[in-house]
Amino acid sequence: MGKKELNVAFLLALRSLQRGSRSSVVLTVLIIAMCFTNMVFLPGLFNGIGQSITAQIVDYETGNVLVGPKSGEQYVNDLDAVLDLINGMPGVERATPHLTKAATLKYRGRVLGVSVRVIKPGDEKFVSPLYSKIIAGSYLGEDDTGEVIIGKAVAGDRTIKQEDEFQPSLGGVQVGDSITVEYGPGYSREYRVKGIYSTGWYSADQTIFTTWSDMEQVEGQTLDHAEYITVKTKPGYTEKFIKNELEQYGVAESVSTMSDLLEKGMGRALQSFAIINMVSLIVGIVITTVVLFIVITIKTINSRKQIGILRAIGVDKEVIMHNYGMQVVIMAVMGIFCGVILTFLISLYMAAHPVVTPEWSATLYLTPMDYVTNSLILFLASVVAGYVPAWQVSREDIQSAMRA
Amino acid sequence: MIEITDLQKIYRMGSVEVRALDGVTMDIAKGEFLGIMGASGSGKTTLLHMLGLLDYPSSGRIVIDGTDLGSLTDYERTMFRLYKLGYVFQDYALVPDLTVMENVSLPAMLRKDRTGEQIKKDSYEILQRIGLCDRRDHLPRELSGGQQQRVSIARAMVNRPDILFADEPCANLDSENSRMVLELFREINEEFRQTIVMVSHEDWHKDYFHRIVRLRDGKVVSDGFNGKSGVT
Repeated sequence: MGKKELNVAFLLALRSLQRGSRSSVVLTVLIIAMCFTNMVFLPGLFNGIGQSITAQIVDYETGNVLVGPKSGEQYVNDLDAVLDLINGMPGVERATPHLTKAATLKYRGRVLGVSVRVIKPGDEKFVSPLYSKIIAGSYLGEDDTGEVIIGKAVAGDRTIKQEDEFQPSLGGVQVGDSITVEYGPGYSREYRVKGIYSTGWYSADQTIFTTWSDMEQVEGQTLDHAEYITVKTKPGYTEKFIKNELEQYGVAESVSTMSDLLEKGMGRALQSFAIINMVSLIVGIVITTVVLFIVITIKTINSRKQIGILRAIGVDKEVIMHNYGMQVVIMAVMGIFCGVILTFLISLYMAAHPVVTPEWSATLYLTPMDYVTNSLILFLASVVAGYVPAWQVSREDIQSAMRA
Repeated sequence: MIEITDLQKIYRMGSVEVRALDGVTMDIAKGEFLGIMGASGSGKTTLLHMLGLLDYPSSGRIVIDGTDLGSLTDYERTMFRLYKLGYVFQDYALVPDLTVMENVSLPAMLRKDRTGEQIKKDSYEILQRIGLCDRRDHLPRELSGGQQQRVSIARAMVNRPDILFADEPCANLDSENSRMVLELFREINEEFRQTIVMVSHEDWHKDYFHRIVRLRDGKVVSDGFNGKSGVT
């Protein structure tokens, strides 16, 4: 197969697309574009959900690196020293301690069991965007006592009857209201609601926050221990680097990166996502291949007489095969291009309007590598789907083809 | 130029054997304008397809310019058609998505011995010769039947083939256009000493042929020069 033959095949392909049925070409290009969208949409959405969950876990649960108690201990002790050590390390933006207390909330006859998270509001600002999620009232001050901020889900809605609630709440607490928090048998404390927040992360919205100073009042002593410390890394520093650094600097506590925790906590879920993605991709490829195979088979069957004539006047069957193959290649490139544009626009739209559920909010998360990989896969599938019927029809004997 | 020896083509339809060609033996000389005539089903198109390498005979031998066609591979047959033969079909058989110029150039584009400039020059010349140069950028559907058939002749002639085969080229044309096409064949034959083998069932076409072979039931029933035919 020489250059001349390829040039003729390309000319025949190009002219067929330019001057043949426009609607057929547009339809085929759209089919390929839809197949591309189909291939990348579901995996992209799952990736988006994964990214969203990961981001929320980092923001509201673990930070980039989590420092927990030593093995066999309940708390991270000698807290100030540990915090000073961590905060002094290169690559650490801020480390902030957390304590969690089980409590019962009481408000106007409603009783609700929640976790009270104790934080240092000033440091927390560097690690978590919680302060920016206040939808009513204001965030906690460093030395606030007797005040809490509560999640929207805990606060509830006065317009919804208790029996109609999707999940139990305090039935419509507002900023400035007073709620009772029972920390344990016999110890309760009145709090003024300083702010109500909504993070979109189920676990965070199901809790309430108070300050370290307040808990010291509750405990009646200085708190020099924490359940865990969340660490925010500076840009350009990997979690792995910080973990290694912490261990090298002699932090004896248990140190885990967010990835370690995600692997432990959500490994199975992520594996499930990966399997669904793979199934979706395979289904997408099969659908694309079959659709293109049908389209090109119909096209070649309708052109059998012409193929016979071309062969009769001395056009080699390889040229005829490449003619139809190249038509598919051109349509595949156009279709993939349209698909890339379409999915890019969808991802832009979803970035502005994410799919929000009570558990997570998701965007279409696609990396350049996703685009490249899926484009190549679809291109190869198109080439196979185009060349197989083209190869079949080009081998038909001249007499049968011309009689078609 | 063409030697045909005991050519047979047998189609099997279930248990029935149909002898489309039944022992045809004849020679065709260079520069002849040969008409193959006969009733429908007499085997004339089958014979043309055998000579034009569009089909395989069941038995017998065809030799063109010393080449035994039976010894050629599929690719060699394609190249033989491209380099040595030209075809004009009943229904013009132009590529609908190519312009007149592109249709005419197509067979030349595949030849390894032609440059782009040469192809353009040859196509232009042959279009001028058939009087359709001004329609060279038109698509076949924008031409009349007679014009399309002339383009088809131009395409067949662009490679200056050794033999031009025409399968009832006037079957879809009115008598005026038919005459124009036949005149064109005659001019080509005389001007280039072009060997032409044409199938026809119209009796008045015989005026244009040098020699007429009549077939009946796959057998040659008469073979002679125009006005002097006799049974072989």
